[in-house]
Amino acid sequence: MIQVENLQHTFLIGKRGKEKQVPVLKGVNFAVNKGEIVAIVGKSGSGKSTLLQVLAGFMKAEQGSIKVNGKETVHLTETESAAFRLRHFGFIFQNFQLMPGLTAFENIELPLKLQGLRKAIRNEKVKKLMDKVGLTEVADHYPNELSGGQQQRVSIARALITNPPVLLADEPTGSLDSETEQDILLLIQSLNRELGLTFVIITHDEEVATIAHRRFRMYDGELVKEEA
Amino acid sequence: MLFKDQLDFVTQHIKKNKLRVFMTILAATMGCAFLIVLASVGFGLQESLRNEILSNETVTKIQVYGDKQLTDEQVQEIKKLDHVETVLETISINASAHSFLGDRDTTSNLTLSDIQDFEQVNGKLAEGNYPSKPNEIVVGYHFAQTLLNEAERTIIAEKSKKAEADGTYYDGSEEGYKESMIGKNIDLSLVSNIGANDETEKMSYTIVGVMEKPSYDWMVDNAIHMDKAQKSVLAESLSKVSEIKEEEVFFSEFNIFADTLENVKPLLEKLKDNGYSVYSVTEQLDQMNVFFLVLKIGLIFVGTIAVLIASIGIFNTMTMAVTERTREIGVLKAIGASPKLIQRLFLMESTFIGIFGTLIAVVISYAVSFAANIALPLILKAATGEDAFATNDITFSLIPWQLVIIASAISVGVAMISGYRPARKATKIDVIQALRQEL
Repeated sequence: MIQVENLQHTFLIGKRGKEKQVPVLKGVNFAVNKGEIVAIVGKSGSGKSTLLQVLAGFMKAEQGSIKVNGKETVHLTETESAAFRLRHFGFIFQNFQLMPGLTAFENIELPLKLQGLRKAIRNEKVKKLMDKVGLTEVADHYPNELSGGQQQRVSIARALITNPPVLLADEPTGSLDSETEQDILLLIQSLNRELGLTFVIITHDEEVATIAHRRFRMYDGELVKEEA
Repeated sequence: MLFKDQLDFVTQHIKKNKLRVFMTILAATMGCAFLIVLASVGFGLQESLRNEILSNETVTKIQVYGDKQLTDEQVQEIKKLDHVETVLETISINASAHSFLGDRDTTSNLTLSDIQDFEQVNGKLAEGNYPSKPNEIVVGYHFAQTLLNEAERTIIAEKSKKAEADGTYYDGSEEGYKESMIGKNIDLSLVSNIGANDETEKMSYTIVGVMEKPSYDWMVDNAIHMDKAQKSVLAESLSKVSEIKEEEVFFSEFNIFADTLENVKPLLEKLKDNGYSVYSVTEQLDQMNVFFLVLKIGLIFVGTIAVLIASIGIFNTMTMAVTERTREIGVLKAIGASPKLIQRLFLMESTFIGIFGTLIAVVISYAVSFAANIALPLILKAATGEDAFATNDITFSLIPWQLVIIASAISVGVAMISGYRPARKATKIDVIQALRQEL
């Protein structure tokens, strides 16, 4: 599903003219198979977030190759990259990143709007999915009227609504208490089992990594495979 | 994203910042309304002057000037040209016509023309018909009013004296012959303007028609028009009292009439190319139009400065909107919104401000223009004590559809341009930075 080869990236840090080169990705190689949950764990500053951003196309790596479903993505333009994200990736963020002015229903509907689908089709899809992830009751609530767990469920539903082959999660339980964290992890596991969805989870939380089929550890810009 | 969804997105954000957007629209409205009203003064003055020129003249008339008179062959040649409706020869006579009706009499100008051509050019009469017999004539609208007896002349003299003392003027409209002139027989004699001023023998004519009222209130038309066949009769009558030659008394003036106003200019060019000395009032209009075009461009330019000032407000509003929504833009980009879509959404918002502001401005401008045309003459009348402003139908402000189009294009265009930079800024927002922003 995803093949990453020799991914390298360097940040320039400091005042202009006196920048310091800090390598963050030092030739990362890994692959993700269809239907598996892969966790990338590491301490803060290890480069794991940069890896996710490069993977998602938010930023371009200086060197290396990323193939998603056989398609090379590192050379895509910004517009091509956006279109590719819309079709192939769902995102789950640490802070949920919901639109404050939109209801739970409208937040989940947003990617379908970007795809240009008609209202009737959108309504049907969103209702079905909300039912599946247990959000029907809060469909008309705004994000600030939802609990952390509910917000993350909305965020997961928004990531799932376009049926993407891969879900990228950045610290998906980082803002949740331990009980809600368990709920969300169970939801991820069940989605993986029932729908065969592929998850790439970036986390510093060893507990979260326990649901992964395979686990990689990021250390100072290098990725090392660990036994699950 | 469907267009309707894009519109929803934009209106949702506008609703969220109602006051700020309202103030920006207000600024855009004021700028655009100022532009329209300012330029409307140029359009209004042009219209007033145009009407002034056209109301006194038949617009399709092309005058032939110079000493050379047209020969019959030349008249026929001109008549054959495309778009020539007719060529009217008006023979003026270097003598005054002295008309008598009972104890009343008046002195007026006398012209002779081919009655068919004369009818074709002048069209409808106020009363009666055009002459069909040799001794029938048409008189001017004020002919009856100027037919006075001695008693009335004394009254008019008294009234005029009184009016003069009051600082006004009396036009004699209350006196004169009050009955219809149609069918009345008048005796007419001629008094030559050159040589001995002897009066000819009286000739009898029947009035069959009265011309339309002249376009200006101050004009008094008591002229007599008859068929040019009467030229020999008049010449013979004059020859009995004076020894002046016929060609010294009668002189012709030729006017060519085009079928429509649009064809005057090409016809004029053609006649000039053929060596005729011709003039049309449209030439005067052309010169005036050039002057007003420059004036209007100047006024629109000044008005545009107001629109540009308003655009600073739009720029600020849009920059604020982008800054406030940085995180939302980041999320949109992350879940797959293309930079073009984000740019379009923000451009739509600034365009909305421009369009809405322009719409209100157009309505306000029409109201201001309407009010100015009613109020300004009254104010000027009160300030100067002159009646002229209140009665002369001066258009102070006119908003033709072309001005609305120009002002709307400038206003909406400037709004879009001022929204462009903030919109570009929105597309450049770094997803990672945006997502890191505090909620």
